[in-house]
Amino acid sequence: MDPTSMRIAEPSPDQDFSPPRGRTGMEILIIGAGFLILMPLISIHRVTDFMIFCIFALSFDLLYGYMGRLSFGHLLYLGTGAYVYGLLIKYFQVNVFLAILSGMLAAGLLGMLLGLIMVRTTGACFSLMALAFNQIGFFLVLSPLKHITNGEDGFGAHARNIGFLNFNSKVTMFILTLLVLLVVFYFLKRLTTSPYGILVRSIKEDENRVRFLGYNTYFYKWVTFVTASLIAGLAGTLTALNYRFVNPNVMDVHQNVGVVFACLIGGAGNLYGAIIGGVAYMMISNYLAIYIHRWEMFLGISLLIIVFKFRKGIWGNIQNIGEYFQRPKEARPAEEKRA
Amino acid sequence: MLLTIFYGFSIGAILYFISIGLSLTFGTMRVINFAHTLTYSIGVYVLITCIPLMKGNFFPAAIMAILAVIPISYVIERFVIRRLYGESLDYTFIATFAITLMGVDTIKWVWGVNPLPLSAPLGTYIEFWGMTFPVYRIIIFAIAIVLFLALELFFRKTILGKIVVAALEDKDGVRCLGVRVDKYFSLMFILGSALAALGGVLYAPISAVHPYMGLSVLLLAFAVVIVGGMGNLRGTFISAFSLGMVMAITARYWSQGAETMVFIVMAIVLIFRPIDI
Repeated sequence: MDPTSMRIAEPSPDQDFSPPRGRTGMEILIIGAGFLILMPLISIHRVTDFMIFCIFALSFDLLYGYMGRLSFGHLLYLGTGAYVYGLLIKYFQVNVFLAILSGMLAAGLLGMLLGLIMVRTTGACFSLMALAFNQIGFFLVLSPLKHITNGEDGFGAHARNIGFLNFNSKVTMFILTLLVLLVVFYFLKRLTTSPYGILVRSIKEDENRVRFLGYNTYFYKWVTFVTASLIAGLAGTLTALNYRFVNPNVMDVHQNVGVVFACLIGGAGNLYGAIIGGVAYMMISNYLAIYIHRWEMFLGISLLIIVFKFRKGIWGNIQNIGEYFQRPKEARPAEEKRA
Repeated sequence: MLLTIFYGFSIGAILYFISIGLSLTFGTMRVINFAHTLTYSIGVYVLITCIPLMKGNFFPAAIMAILAVIPISYVIERFVIRRLYGESLDYTFIATFAITLMGVDTIKWVWGVNPLPLSAPLGTYIEFWGMTFPVYRIIIFAIAIVLFLALELFFRKTILGKIVVAALEDKDGVRCLGVRVDKYFSLMFILGSALAALGGVLYAPISAVHPYMGLSVLLLAFAVVIVGGMGNLRGTFISAFSLGMVMAITARYWSQGAETMVFIVMAIVLIFRPIDI
């Protein structure tokens, strides 16, 4: 019998899906330590950038990896967060944390509204709708709202200090972003291992069956969509805070491929995969672009290789190796035969 | 207003050329062909290269551009699309997007990043009911009508077209009859790409030429296909012309909002008639 099908069939009804206590804490420590180690190797400003991208990749992974909806317009929510944050800082000089919160909420509200339509579609239709909405958003900030968003040139948004928090300091930004990343990771870890998370994953596998079990899948998909857009909005506000500058590039439709690439290379459907992929993508785009002039070509070729040969991504392969060694010795030859 | 309607028809004609190939690949192979942008832009760039070679003659250069796309689309079909049959739609989407990225980069490599100038081959206008109509747009519209009729005949009267129409309905059924559907699909793919190149060649003189030109047009073409129904050839025709009209009428009152309006129409259509693909 196929070992994978056995593993799925095993759980008893009252099985606890959440990971053992203390393990999530360990994981958070490892991630935090990982970024702290990365910091002296590359410049601190870049690592902050990497972490913001990782937050965005996590939110994308919730949508793509866990719910199976490939969004080619996820930057819309990041851009919304960034713009709302930037405009509030620029015109009303509000408190930074208030601006971050409102940026997040604005992205979430937009997600709520568009989610009502988006979630009804699947597969390619979903991707194309996302792309279309992203295009509309990009167009809106570029030309009809030009008098407030300053169109293509963008505008600066200088955050005022709060108490001892100096937002111009790289170290403060680093610590703030790291904390936010860890909180987001913890939240998503809890979310995806909860019964709700299992349900979302089952929707990815077979939505009809979940519906037959009596769940209102529409609602669950909508909630996941809104959560993903909230987190993307959070990443957007951090981007604006980090660069102290907002321009339409934050929601440029063409940039969407970056996060898709990150999610795939890291391994979709896994939070670690998203973080590893995020770091890998940022490394590639920051350093390889210096040496390889034909950078889009490289991205295209590697995407093709991923699609045809490397679907599980980095984390998926690490997991495979791990599982191989954890298995009792008698089981190993069978594994090889199957492969 | 009559002029606006006329412009709508010519935009609709262009959209029809580009979306017919998309609709065919959607319907037969279940592949979202993002690489369609590529054939579109490559057609235009080959045209620009060929015009000086042809001593400024537009039409032979246009034919060369369309012919140049055929081997490229064959290579794409043979080595990428054919491997994607039966895959999840996400992967087809990503793989064809990867091809587009590579192609756009090649275009940048060969022709450079900067927009290139290309003027309409026919600058003449004709007077009619006190209004001036550019002849070039009339020709575009005429080609669209001829093409629609030709495709209708092709899909109804020839055995090749009939096989494709049957495969749109039920691929496995046709395969059970002993027909090698893959061969016909690859022909359809090439036909669709050549038509996209035709659309590009006709549209480029009245729009801008730059490496990313395909993407915005492709989004419009996707909207046409979604509104018209996947693999529905007549639906594609009707929706191309209605969306062209939407664009022209919006552009009359609010020029920047034309493309956005198409997406709004698409969203409204999807709200009332969600599509499962």
